[in-house]
Amino acid sequence: MSRERPNSVWRSLDRKAMAVAEFTLRQQRKRLSTWVVLGVAMLAMGVLTMFYVDAMVRDYDAVDNDGDASDFDQDGYPNGQERLYGTDIFDSTDHPGLLDPPVAPDDRSVWVNEDDFDWDSLAEGSYGVDDDGDCDREDRTASQKDDNRNGIPCDIAVSTGLFGNTVVETDGNVDEDPDDEAYAKEASHRAFVLAIGKFGFVFLLGIFIPLFMATGLIRDEMTSGTMHFMLAKPIARTEVFLYRILGFLGIAWPYMIGLVGLVAVITGFVGPGDAIFRWQDLGVWLSVLLAALFAVLVYANLFCLLGVMWKHGIVLALPFAAWELGMILTTLGAPDAAILRFSVIGWAMNVVDAGAAMAWSDTGLLIAVGMWGGGNGPLEGAEALRIFASDTGLGLAPLPTMIVSLGVLLFQAAGCWFLGGALFKAKEID
Amino acid sequence: MMPDMSQQGREGSSDWTPDTTAPIVYLNGVSKSYGRIHALSNITLGLSGGVTGILGLNGAGKSTLFKLLMGKVRPSAGEVRIFGEDPWKNPAPYARVGFVPEHEKMHDWMTALEFVATFARLHGMTKPQAEKEALRVLDFVGLSDVANKEIGRFSKGMRQRTKIAHALVNDPDLIVLDEPLQGCDPLARTTIMNVIRELGKLGRTVLVSSHILSEIERITEQIVIVHHGKLVALGNLHAIRDRLDQIPHTIRLVGDDVKHLAKDILDHPAVYGLSFPSSDELLIQTYHFGALHAELPGIIVRGEHRVREIDNPDDDLESLLTYLTGGGA
Repeated sequence: MSRERPNSVWRSLDRKAMAVAEFTLRQQRKRLSTWVVLGVAMLAMGVLTMFYVDAMVRDYDAVDNDGDASDFDQDGYPNGQERLYGTDIFDSTDHPGLLDPPVAPDDRSVWVNEDDFDWDSLAEGSYGVDDDGDCDREDRTASQKDDNRNGIPCDIAVSTGLFGNTVVETDGNVDEDPDDEAYAKEASHRAFVLAIGKFGFVFLLGIFIPLFMATGLIRDEMTSGTMHFMLAKPIARTEVFLYRILGFLGIAWPYMIGLVGLVAVITGFVGPGDAIFRWQDLGVWLSVLLAALFAVLVYANLFCLLGVMWKHGIVLALPFAAWELGMILTTLGAPDAAILRFSVIGWAMNVVDAGAAMAWSDTGLLIAVGMWGGGNGPLEGAEALRIFASDTGLGLAPLPTMIVSLGVLLFQAAGCWFLGGALFKAKEID
Repeated sequence: MMPDMSQQGREGSSDWTPDTTAPIVYLNGVSKSYGRIHALSNITLGLSGGVTGILGLNGAGKSTLFKLLMGKVRPSAGEVRIFGEDPWKNPAPYARVGFVPEHEKMHDWMTALEFVATFARLHGMTKPQAEKEALRVLDFVGLSDVANKEIGRFSKGMRQRTKIAHALVNDPDLIVLDEPLQGCDPLARTTIMNVIRELGKLGRTVLVSSHILSEIERITEQIVIVHHGKLVALGNLHAIRDRLDQIPHTIRLVGDDVKHLAKDILDHPAVYGLSFPSSDELLIQTYHFGALHAELPGIIVRGEHRVREIDNPDDDLESLLTYLTGGGA
């Protein structure tokens, strides 16, 4: 008889959820402390990004890693050129200018960064290219040309070591004078993205935004007495808990998306590479964002729970944050440590590392080659990248790692909500 | 302008069906202690329909009683039922309840309309429905002209009326008001009292607590007196009150020209003493409190006196309790 759809239980739940979430969102927006917290967080990320931009626009000294731009005998011919023509680098009376036909001396700068890494061939496992021809010289024996004994003269062999690490074995004088600036920028760029992603967005913002904004979601209303209004309505306390969290996420999640997006766009344009925008970083940024959003979700439920449990619950949040700091540092050195299973950040880091492994599959090679640095490593940026890049910790392929980790984070959030709701339900409110 | 008394609300309320045979409010042997403090002991009470005043001194257990009814605290012993349901376990009966807490803190950043509409949505109303209902109840308590002002800028009386409006938005059958008149100016008091009386006439069950006897007296005759966590009296106030009139009372007046007012009052046969604790304060001693209290406003208006405050520092409830408990209150 009624043309309207009946008011199902679901629809009225839906209305309550929207009402509480909307109320919470507006309440947070009206608070000065919200904007102070979000403003400080944005400022901190902004300062870090400025350091990054500075690192990207400054000039790096081109280092003559193999010393063949020097001219030991002062005859005007750089050592590299003399070696190429087989003349004596220590004898000024012997140089390529005396050959027939005579060779004009090269400018020294020609012999800096003259034998860069050959990334495409390296990625396939072997065959560096001896760009400057100082390995494959006629006066060297076959065994001199094959230091790494893989049967191929003048190449670089890349293999996987005993612990899953990348091993670079080189025949002498191959790729021995890499382009330092290109390497430093690429490595520093990746190191920065991982560092700000892991420590900035997932850890610092992931913990501190919920710490300041979610701890009081229930507690503040209980202490001020305004919770009486909400609890005198036909709504279960576990629902109130959940919808309050939803309202908090309504402000925290768009903020995270905006800030991560902003830094991603800046680094995409400023970062190294021939293209205008570094689309190849997109996967890493998306995994950073996913990890940050899930971390915020778990921490918000946890801190709200602590607030319900005890009026001074924030005190309990601090040792927990310290624990999480210990855990994130552990993920850098030992991403597969079992103790990381008992943290939130360990699983969030798995997400980032899995995303990085998918988007930048050659990071391990980049680190290994940079640490070797043509025999004179580590190159600038290599150590930073080695610190912030980690393997995925679960021993699974990147995609399953990400799915499992996100599932665990969701489970942790649900567990905190369940426990927090139960505590809230058992709480007598004055 | 007459407020809209039709109270046609309750759109989109939940699917819960109440037990129509159960009393609306029912407490059976209910006790509540906080550690070693007994806030309520062995209260048994059943109420359905009409306005009931819950009288008691501060700390007598009135608020604890309401907290039990509203499922805020769990009884230490006994059973609490509203509409036949245990409120500690099931919030569903609140679809038919309106509660005005005594806490002063409100969401000051909201407008009255937003405040009432937001909490109306927790009854399952859609946003437009909630706004419509909110405007209806704000009109009912006489706040429709300030509906879009922030609560933070409201006077105490306006805040109380906003709270009452919020409690009425679901057209409840049971309305619980914890000290609704506390701190209100005389105009707000009158408005609130009228609203409560109207609700009683509409057949709603209304529980209203107070520690001031004369306030309750103006609202209802049906009272429950709570003292030291125990139920000491239940029934018609006037029967008790007539006999109480023989006990001496003090009325305190504050105004600019209390000396002139004193002259007019001195002639009244019920007055047996006057004193001036300060230049703008007058204390009147009387044996016939009821009679004088009824005539006092007339005397003030006829003499064109300016009176800012009238109250009973003797706290006549205390006298009543002394009387009821045989002097050992």
